[in-house]
Amino acid sequence: MALAFYYPLLRLFQEGVVEEGKFTLKYLGEVFAEPYFRHVILFTAEQALLSTLLAILIGLPWAYIFTRYDFPMKDTLRSLTIVPFVLPAITVAVGFILFFGNNGYLNRMLMEVFHLQGPPLRLLYSLKGIVLAHAFYNAPIITRMVGAQWERLDLAYEESAQALGAGRARRFFGVTLPLLLPSLMTGAALAFIFCFLSFPIVLALGGARFSTIEVEIYTQFIVLYHQRLGAALAIVEVLLSLLFTYGYILLEGHFTRELEAVRPRPTAPLLRQPTPGRIIVWLFIAFSSLLFLGPLISVLYDSFTREWAGQTIFTLHWYSYIFKPQYEALIGAPPLRAVLNSLQFGLAAMGLAGLIGLPIAFVIARYRFRGRRAFDTLVMAPLGVSSVALGAALLTAFLRPPLQLREGWLAIVLAHAILAYPFVIRAIVPVLEGLERGPVEAARGLGASRLGAFRDIELPLIRRGLLVGAVFAFAISLGEMSATIMLARPEWKTMPLVINDLRAARSFGGASAMSSLLILVTGGAFVVIERFGKRLFGGGR
Amino acid sequence: MRKVFFAALLLALGLLFIGQAQVPKLVVYTYDSFASWGPAKFIKEEFEKRHKVDVEFVATADSRAMLSKLIQEREAGKQGADVFIGVEAADLSKVKRYDLFIPLTKEDVPELANIPQGLLIDSQNSAIPYEHGYITLVYDSQALAVEDVPRTFEELLRPKYKKMLILEDPRTSSPGLSFLLWTIHRFGDPQYLDYWEKLLPNILTISGSWGEAYDLFQGGEAPVVLSFSTDTAYSMIEKGSARYKVMLLDNQGYRNIYLMGIVRGTEQEKLAKEFLNFILSPKVQEKIPTTEWMFPANPEALLPVEFYQYAVVPPQPVMLSPEEVGKNLDRWLRDWSRVVLGG
Repeated sequence: MALAFYYPLLRLFQEGVVEEGKFTLKYLGEVFAEPYFRHVILFTAEQALLSTLLAILIGLPWAYIFTRYDFPMKDTLRSLTIVPFVLPAITVAVGFILFFGNNGYLNRMLMEVFHLQGPPLRLLYSLKGIVLAHAFYNAPIITRMVGAQWERLDLAYEESAQALGAGRARRFFGVTLPLLLPSLMTGAALAFIFCFLSFPIVLALGGARFSTIEVEIYTQFIVLYHQRLGAALAIVEVLLSLLFTYGYILLEGHFTRELEAVRPRPTAPLLRQPTPGRIIVWLFIAFSSLLFLGPLISVLYDSFTREWAGQTIFTLHWYSYIFKPQYEALIGAPPLRAVLNSLQFGLAAMGLAGLIGLPIAFVIARYRFRGRRAFDTLVMAPLGVSSVALGAALLTAFLRPPLQLREGWLAIVLAHAILAYPFVIRAIVPVLEGLERGPVEAARGLGASRLGAFRDIELPLIRRGLLVGAVFAFAISLGEMSATIMLARPEWKTMPLVINDLRAARSFGGASAMSSLLILVTGGAFVVIERFGKRLFGGGR
Repeated sequence: MRKVFFAALLLALGLLFIGQAQVPKLVVYTYDSFASWGPAKFIKEEFEKRHKVDVEFVATADSRAMLSKLIQEREAGKQGADVFIGVEAADLSKVKRYDLFIPLTKEDVPELANIPQGLLIDSQNSAIPYEHGYITLVYDSQALAVEDVPRTFEELLRPKYKKMLILEDPRTSSPGLSFLLWTIHRFGDPQYLDYWEKLLPNILTISGSWGEAYDLFQGGEAPVVLSFSTDTAYSMIEKGSARYKVMLLDNQGYRNIYLMGIVRGTEQEKLAKEFLNFILSPKVQEKIPTTEWMFPANPEALLPVEFYQYAVVPPQPVMLSPEEVGKNLDRWLRDWSRVVLGG
């Protein structure tokens, strides 16, 4: 793993500081000295901050809804909350434009209802659009992380506050929120990092006028072929994100607690007689659903319609179009094949990420050694590295000796696994740290081998964490595009790449059809994995 | 018995490999749309009928990225491609600088004799044209009335066109680059930067690729997009209406020529020459209009009726010399990004 990740990356960084054999700070200096780059760095931080705030504003109430209320299909919905996070930017961007655009469904509806001349909501092609899309992506993280802790929060605290006469608001702000702060901060830190590194969304919804560091790396490296400057930028970006990651890990340390024997929190059914509280919740659900469902349903709707001679008609044209023989004969990856490729890469990446992540998670959680936090941060580095840089690094590393691999499925699986294994670690470490050592030691005392103890005792207990990590890894692989696009040969094209192809070839309806397929496959895969995983590792908590 | 079986298996496999080795392979690097929806499939099928060869198209990205890939491979001493299709005129200097292609003569590629002199922008003919076109603005006639259409660069600056323009990024898009070069041709260096500053309020967004820009345009986000002068013909053929119309500024359009070449170091030089010749033949050139939405390089090729009726050839097309572009492009792109950066 170290070889596969650090070697290519270090070679890449070498380009940033070495010129003609001599160490130089010229390019790094350029990054900091030029007002243009300073502006880009500041803007990156600014949009990440605003996006994180919006993500919290949306994600936190949803965590509350999951914790407090009961409603039909709650489990399925919970599995599906992750779907926005892993959709490829290209699909999300199209969905946003279709729904929130100046001529999007939302504006058109508003104009009809209120008899307006021009579109009232000009949200896209600006900072607003970027922040909105980022919130779409990252609110689920907040919901999941805060929700997980909220459910385990001991009711005793709130009950004693109530007994002492505190009102609901007082209880929330005085007791619940401070208790939730660790997971909230952790989720926020994670969301911030993702927004900081975001690239395709910024380009698609902001355009060339809004450049983040990641966009600049892409531009300098891939477009302008300024390898050294691109490498210097990548170094700066990695350093910054390592900084943030370190902060995140520090926070996470505060988050984990020993699993307490907790009474399950009482939940109230959501769909009952309206009370003021319930009505506010319903309104919130309605509005935030606009954000989440609007774009996705728009993509689905778009895939079933077509314009001809000025009329909009319903049709399966686009679906038959992407399954046409002439498309598959040439590219070597018919759409069905692309779906299969995506799934295969997903499973392989998930397996590899698990194999890499699990032992590392153990090392971090179980052993106390100096520089543990630093080690943890370094290991998390792929989280903070631009996927563009990673793809480029892998390409150059495997093009020259000594590691001359042919670009092929192995490089892709590797790239996906590298991008995904930090999630596996992050999902397992908190659970491991919370586990008591008692049962393991008892088992060993009774003669079980280390591996046996692991298999029979720890594995079932960390199944939840393992499952979450696996799901993330699979999802990231499915939606990954920036690195894959550089490494894939025609026969290994994945779904996001095919969507990209279709758009490049003027087949916008076809792209929507493929996107819809991707959404369905992703959502379906999640539900399957979570259900299957639950059964595999034992039902319930 | 086992031994006989394995021996037979090995023999069969051996024969298989020998059989494979007999058919030479021609690896062609090109850009994604050429391979997926362009004439590539037709070319492959027809060429393989005429010659004993396996044509393999590698098209993982847009033309500039593929060119970067070729350059990277050459620098690493690797021979990945035999033929490259899709160098745009602005990148010709890169081809020369890295000595990517071999020079060709009319003996090598007989069809070259039919190509108009104006398209042969490489004096050594190492990069030869296969198609060309004009970059212009295109507008939606349902959203913008004919009287409101701007006719000059200056008119385009008027406040009434606020947020009506969709442009492409010259760093990542060929039409985008053409437009930038067009403004440089029109206003000179560095005055073109002033023009861009004044144009900014009228730009809705600068998309990364033509595909994205056109998607927004067709979706109705804005009534004007930077596209090709063949768009009305496209609109007629694909949608049955001449809704999208070409907007000429100062009666100009920016000319773009797309080139192909034989990669230096190839082992299939003879086949490659036949291949290029085949692409320039009328049979293949006639496929270009409806797959690439460009004009074929070979004037012997017949165009579809809609092209004769609707495809626009600007009265005064302009183009900067490849040498000038090669010398200054880096600096121009840098200056442009500084002016355009908002946020």
